[in-house]
Parts: sequence; structure tokens; C-alpha cells
Amino acid sequence: MAGALHEITVAEAGRRFRAGSLSPVELTQAYLARIDALDHALDSFITLTPERALAEAREAEALFAKGVDKGPMQGIPYGLKDIYDTAGLLTTAHSRLLAEHIPSEDSTVQAKLRAGGGVLLGKQATWEFAIGGPSFDLPWPPARNPWDRTKSPLGSSSGAGAAIAAGFCAAATGSDTGGSIRMPAAACGIAGLKPTYGLVSRRGVQPNSYSFDHCGPMAWTVEDCALMLGVMAGHDPRDPGSLPLPAIDYAAALAAPVKGLRVGVVRHWYEDELDAAPGVIAAMDESIAVLRSLGCAVSEVRLPSLRAFTDSKMPLTAGEIFTLHEHDLRTRPRDFGRSARYRVMVGGLLRAEDYVQAMRARTELTAQVFAAMSEVDVLLTAGSAGPAPDLLPDEPPSYFGVAAPSLTSQFNLTGQPALALCNGFDAAGLPLGLQLAGRPGEDALVLRLGHAFERATAFRARRPVLAPLAQCTAAQ
Amino acid sequence: MHAPATAYATSTPAGSGDAALTDLGIVELGRMLRAGATSSLAITRACLDRIAAHDGTLASFITVTVDTALAQARRADAELAAGLDRGPFHGIPYALKDNVDTAGILSSSHSKIFADRIPPESAAVAQRLEQAGGVLIGKTATFEFAIGGPSWDLPWPPARNPWNRDYLPGGSSSGSGAAVGARFVPAAIGTDTGGSIRWPAAMCGITGLKPTYGRVSRRGVHPNTYSLDHCGPMTRSAADCAVMLSACAGHDPRDPGSIDEAVPDYAAALSGSVAGLRIGLVRHWYEEDATAEVVAAVDEAADVLRGLGAHVEIVTLDPLRDYVDAKTTISSVELFTVHERDLRTRPRDFSKRLRGRVLPGALIRGEDYVQAIRWRTELTSRMFAAFRRFDLFATAGWLAPADPADPDGVDFFQKRQLVTMPFSLTGLPALNLPCGFSAGGLPLSLQLAGRPFDEATVLRAGDAYQRATDWHLATPVLA
Amino acid sequence: MTATVPARPATREEIAVLARNAGLDLPADLFDELVAAYAGIEPMLMRLRRGRDRADEPAHVFDPRKFMPVED
Repeated sequence: MAGALHEITVAEAGRRFRAGSLSPVELTQAYLARIDALDHALDSFITLTPERALAEAREAEALFAKGVDKGPMQGIPYGLKDIYDTAGLLTTAHSRLLAEHIPSEDSTVQAKLRAGGGVLLGKQATWEFAIGGPSFDLPWPPARNPWDRTKSPLGSSSGAGAAIAAGFCAAATGSDTGGSIRMPAAACGIAGLKPTYGLVSRRGVQPNSYSFDHCGPMAWTVEDCALMLGVMAGHDPRDPGSLPLPAIDYAAALAAPVKGLRVGVVRHWYEDELDAAPGVIAAMDESIAVLRSLGCAVSEVRLPSLRAFTDSKMPLTAGEIFTLHEHDLRTRPRDFGRSARYRVMVGGLLRAEDYVQAMRARTELTAQVFAAMSEVDVLLTAGSAGPAPDLLPDEPPSYFGVAAPSLTSQFNLTGQPALALCNGFDAAGLPLGLQLAGRPGEDALVLRLGHAFERATAFRARRPVLAPLAQCTAAQ
Repeated sequence: MHAPATAYATSTPAGSGDAALTDLGIVELGRMLRAGATSSLAITRACLDRIAAHDGTLASFITVTVDTALAQARRADAELAAGLDRGPFHGIPYALKDNVDTAGILSSSHSKIFADRIPPESAAVAQRLEQAGGVLIGKTATFEFAIGGPSWDLPWPPARNPWNRDYLPGGSSSGSGAAVGARFVPAAIGTDTGGSIRWPAAMCGITGLKPTYGRVSRRGVHPNTYSLDHCGPMTRSAADCAVMLSACAGHDPRDPGSIDEAVPDYAAALSGSVAGLRIGLVRHWYEEDATAEVVAAVDEAADVLRGLGAHVEIVTLDPLRDYVDAKTTISSVELFTVHERDLRTRPRDFSKRLRGRVLPGALIRGEDYVQAIRWRTELTSRMFAAFRRFDLFATAGWLAPADPADPDGVDFFQKRQLVTMPFSLTGLPALNLPCGFSAGGLPLSLQLAGRPFDEATVLRAGDAYQRATDWHLATPVLA
Repeated sequence: MTATVPARPATREEIAVLARNAGLDLPADLFDELVAAYAGIEPMLMRLRRGRDRADEPAHVFDPRKFMPVED
């Protein structure tokens, strides 16, 4: 690997740590220097923890020196979306309401990453409470897209997507309620996995919508997501949504062949139901050819419309998120950003019947998807309908799924694993993405196919050029 | 031994002719069948005769399936004679609440809306009992759709209490409770959303088990509240409940609420001992609001358990009101969702009581529903934390004896707190069993609840109590 | 079934009642936001009520095993 140090993957860094040719301290310093030089133009971090990072890096270095190996995250610098609780460290959810919130306990995922020897670089930008944005009326600005800083990295795991693409960290955690890992992954040209519902604990992570919330890994490559998932996953009785799924070595499972896998393309979602950019359809056609060349049996499948999924998902989200914020909305509504307030407050008007009817629709839709998956192993569709849009405030505020249905939230409804990864670039050089979705519990299979796709294509060799940003001022 | 109030108990000696067959439970009947001392056909005929003689005043059945019963009884006799033994439920007559689908047989849910409904497929629980060799005697009265009752404005009258026909049998499994209490059948299936197995069990002097949520499939059972609905056995003893539960429990992938958990041999768990069991007596749920007779009877039952070697200590859980509020909010919403189309288009085809309980669900907001579900998780976690110190909870089975049958009477929902609801909300296995009589000769009841999927311990304790007492043997006189 | 339930969207006055039931006592500008937001979600709600089979359960399942105490 000839790239600069900040372009190193989790896998490669791990190999070099263990070979003694790279030190976690050296890598941490490289990231900190780069963040220091460039993040004023991208705003991907809310809180940086340089002293802590260096201390943790030295700890990891000492462990390697003693021959102690706590696994693939040991010595790896990573970022946490700022909705993950960190003991003694500001955790804002990117909201004025939590601008001084310092939790007393780590979220389960942070506890696992720390126990695995990871090096926390800091807390990353999101949308307010992972729902309202992009917003310019909050204490911190929204993150920007490293491929073009006038573009949005999408969200809500926007800081994670931007920081990984910018080479500010090797790995980051995201959360995904309707696409919040996969949308920024696609917009920033990285990989992001929404695991099976219940695979990764959400305890200590600011909830958005209980029945849709997933925590997951985001990294430059699918292989890195697999390495990270192995550390993040595991049953947690303190998360009522957590499931006792078997422990799997996700990274080792990448080696199995993909020949003969049956891939079902859900073309009508991006070609007929959304106004997909021509580049998206062309990239998807090329991706299908790549999968065929890998020996996959690709066929088309028809599933319920995106509109049907969105109609079920949005009322459920609205009902659940309102219960989290009702007290603040009733007593201090102006402390919310306008976008979050708009999206959350409306949940108060919902009748309970609406919620239950949406739950019944969810059962029906999920059953239809899983029935189709008796014929195919993996579903393939686009990761987004186009490249990253301009970074503009959500003004006048919008409600998700009104202008167009969501291309990602159907897999939050079903709870199945869904991986977004880069599958090309548009004429302006902005990344495009695809999504692979598997049966519940088959995260390893989805990762394996994504990894094979990355190996068979050259998209991982292309990086955003950030040098001009060094001169850029922080102002818009 | 605690003798029942003899004035109201005229138990006939076992084995003295067909009339006595109806006094026997599943376990004794099974023993006699295998000893060749009787036949399934004889038992079935005894049941049918008793129904014909007395159900005119009790109205416990909506449909009596005479031909099906006789055919199934003959088949059971032939199979047993040929050495094919389907287990302890083989040849045993039973009844199903009429919200349980039966292929080719009216399944009305006691509603005008379903007055002609003959489903093509039987409910999972009916299929399992048929496979276990049971003999279906008929379909029993309920509250309309297991919620709207007792109602006098429906095609069928409400069932009456076998201990005194001027009184009600509780509900919503009212016909199942009355039929087992009246010795029409040794066993019946009830459904329980907020207490609908346990309340009629308490009122009719029988033993009824609401199993763990997810233990018995509800496929083909008309929904009341999806997230709170349970099916379970209603019999005359804990030992009989154990047999019937083994026959009908088990995972069903076609019921989304069904949980894949192994089914033990419940009858084998009945050791007769409660020595060393730690029982938390939830006294604050009944001590103020129950009648003095209930308080005394439940306290006395706790003493019996102590005398048998259990450690009974008072435990404080959340107030009863909290469970009732959360449960009622969830139920109102889900009930409205089930019936919304008919309520919008033909509201007058429902009973007044059903409309009164279900229509307000339309006004509840989504937030209220989600808050009630969050509240449910909190109440459940707090109740279960007490399992660190206890193996079982004990409390009253109901806060009063049966109410008079008065069409203009106050709705029971308004009248008193439902002491069955905490275990509905938390999904725990809960058993109601007789523990005394009121001065007016109406049964009183004890409630025992255990850990999720630990029906075995609940039944063991209930059985041990019934080995030491004979409240459950008392038999009503049917005039 | 093509007709939605209800047949027409809520009026401002009706939304005011819903907001009052939700305990949202809003100044005029925030109430305007709410009216606009509800116009986004209301069509979804109207489409959701479509007379499902009575036995069709909602997608939540209560598993009591999940609430047993955790030993730390």
C-alpha cells in the first residue's frame, strides 16, 4: 500500500502494528495533525480528544510490545458519532439541549471498542438528535462533504462519513434509523453497514426510534467494517432490542467464495420510483456486470413500492421520537433547531391507531420481502438516487419521505442487514453507492459480497483531494 | 385441611355411575380410561346429558357439537383399544371459547358481526388438542369479541354462574368458566388479555392458567389485544391444567407472538412439594380494595403455603393502578385497530358495552400508546427484578366474589381494579385457584405467578396447595 | 379501496385540537410549522388505514424473557 499514512485501512494498520513497522502513536499523531490542518473546513468533529487519544495509543503500543493482542481494533484511531455516550466526555447529540451533557457511563459499543484497545480521537457531528438537519441554527455547524465542501455528506452520521473520506480516522461508528449510516456512506464514497436489528447494542446511544435504531460500523473498506463489527457486536441484556445471535468472525468469513450467490436486483426502486440520476443507473448496470463476472446469479425481483415502506416507517418514527422529546417540546421548543423541531413535533398529532396500523403494514411488508428472499440470497439496489446534494439548510423545513420515498428505510423496517458501498463516480467526481441487503443474521454474507465487489473494482484507489482546503476559512 | 363450605358442596362419590363421571378431572378420567373402567364415549355422553339438563339456565354454550363429540369419542375409544395412546388428553372432552376458530363449526366470538361465521381452518390450539385425542364438546359463551360484556343486546345471552345463576361467571371466558364450574366438561380453553381466564376461574371456583406470553399459539384465535393476548387451560385442578397445557403449548411460527422455547412435561413437575420455594405475597394489591372475605382467604392460603414449607414474605411492587393504566391504554388502541372498519361502517351491530370499551381507543394519540409500551417495559423490569429474591408471587385472584347479573349494573371496569392485569402486562404465567367461599356461597380465589416460561413451578405450587386443601373439589348444586 | 380515511385532510382548527390534546401550547409561528409538518405526514396516515384482516398483527412482539434481571 503506497498511500499516505492517513489512507491506511484498519486491516493494513493492524498488520503493520503486529509486524512492528507502524506504531499506534505515530498513526494517531498523523490523524491529529491532519484534523488540525483540515477539519476547520469540514466540521466533522464536535469534540476532539487528542490527549486521551495519545494516551490510549501509547497504551496500545505498550500492549503490542508485551505481545498482548485484544483484537483488530487495538491501536486503531476511531471516531464516535456524538450520540454515543462517553463517560466524562461531552455527548451533545449535536443539540443545544445537550450542549453541556457529560454522561457518567460509556455506551456499550464504546465500552467494547475501548476494551478492544481502540484509540478514541473524538466525537463526530450528526444531525440534531440524529433527525434534524442540515441545520445552521445549532451550536455547531453541519459537517461537509470532503469530495466537495459545498456538498452535503448527508446524514445523520455525517461527521463519520466526512471524517473517514477525509482521512481523519480509520473507522467510526454510525447509527441508522432510516439510512443514517448508508446515506452518508454513499455520499462520501465509503462503506457503512446497518447490521441486523439486535446484533449491536444500542444501550447508551441517544435513541431516535426504538424499533428502527441500529448501531453500526463505517470505514473506508468493507473489510474494515467487518473487522469493526466483530468488536461491536454481541448480545446486551441491557438493550431490550438486543438479540442473542451467534458470535461470528466477520473478517474471516470474507474469504469464502461468492460464486453461485443469488443476487436479486430491485431495479424498480431506483429506476421507476425515484428520479435517479443517469449516472446512478449506469453505475448500477456496471455493478451488476461486476457481480456476474464474480459468478453471482443476478436476477430481477419485484418488491412492494418504496412508497409503501415509507408510509409505514414515517408514522412509526414520528410516534416514537415524539415520546423522547415531548417534555422539552412542551417546555422549551425554541431550544431545538428548526429542522428537528419540525420533524419531531408533528409526532404529537398522531393517533395511536395510526401507529398500530403502520405496525401492521410493517409486518405485511416485512413478510413480503422475506418471502422474496427464499429465491435470492442478497438484494441489490442503489445506495442513493444521485450524488451528494448541495449543503443547504433544511429550509423551509422538510419532512422525510414527503417529496420522494426513502431508498434506505425499507431495510430499517425489515431489520435485515444492509451494506452501502461505493460503486462509481459521477461526471463531477462525486461518489455513487449501492446497497446490498441480506437475510436477518446474514451480515457475514453481505459483507463477503461487498468485499468481493471492492476487490474486483478500483473505486477504493480514488480519494478526495483536500489540499486546497488548508487555505479555506471556516466560514461558509 | 381446609374444608369447603359444605352447604354449597355436594360432591358425588367418584365411580358410582355415569353422573359421577362428570365430577372427575382429566387425570382420574385418564386413569379409568386406561384401566378399561370407562370409555371416552361414556364420559362424553355424561357431559352431553348434563349440558342438556342444565345449560338452559346457565347459557355457557353457544354451540354444542354433539355429532363431532360422539365421533371423536368413538375414535378415541377405538385408538386406545388398538393400543394407540396419544397421551393424557386422549379421550378427554373439552370446550373451546367461541373466539377460537373451528373448521366447519360456527365461531361467532359471541358477536352479531360473526353470527354466521364458519371458518375453513381450525385455530392452532384446537388442532393441537384434536391431535392430542381430545373430544370437542362445544363452543362457549364469551364477552363480545372477548371484550364487550356481559351484554344483553347480542344474539346470545351472557353466561351465568353455576354457583348461583343470579350471578355472573366473570369474563371474558365466561362460558368456559361456567361450563367447567358446572361440571359440564372437565376442561376448556379460555383466552386472557387482562384476566379473562383467571377472572372466570375465580368466579366459578375452578383452576385457570394464563401461560407465559408466547407459550400457546394464538393463530386462529380472534384477537383482542395483539400484544397481550394469551390462550390457556381452564380445568378443576392445577394437575389437570398441567396435562392440558402440555397438550396445547409449543412454538408456532405462524403466530408472530409465539416464542420458541422447549415444552417440559408439566405433569411430571408436580412433586407435591413447595418446601424452600420463596413466595412474594403482593398484599398491597388487595389489602385495601378487596372484600374482607377475600383478604382473609388469601392470607389464609398464604399460611397454608407457609405450613407446607414455602418461605412467604410480603413484597411491594408498583401500584396496581399503574399496570391497569398501561394495559388499558395499549388494549384500547389495539382493540380499536382490530374493529375500526366495522365501527366506522356498522357501529350498531356491536353491543353497547363493546362500543363503550373500544370506541375511546380512536381518540388515543400515538404518543400515549408508545408511552404505555415504554411504561410496560419499566413495570416489567421492576417486577422481574424481584425474582432475585422470589420464585413466585402470590396475590388475590380477584378482589371480590361474583357480581349479580344485572343488565343495568355498573361496568366492572369502573367498579374495581383488575388484580389480574399486572401479570397480563408482564406476560408471566399466572394461575388462579379456589381458596375459599364468601358467606353467600360464592368462590374466592388465590393467584400465583412465576418466572417467564416457568409454568412448571407455578403449577407445582398450585398442585401442592390443592393436595393440602379441597376448595377445588367443591361442586355447585345445579337446580 | 381507493377512498382514504378520513376522506379529507384536517383543517387548521382540527389540527389545533390535536395539538391541544398533545399538550402542545404553541406560539403562532411554531403552530404554523406544525400545520405544515402535519401536511407532510397526514397523507401517509390516510393511506395506512385500509381495512386489514383482523388477524394481521402489528410488528411488535413482547418477549418476557428479555426483562429478567441481569447480573452485573
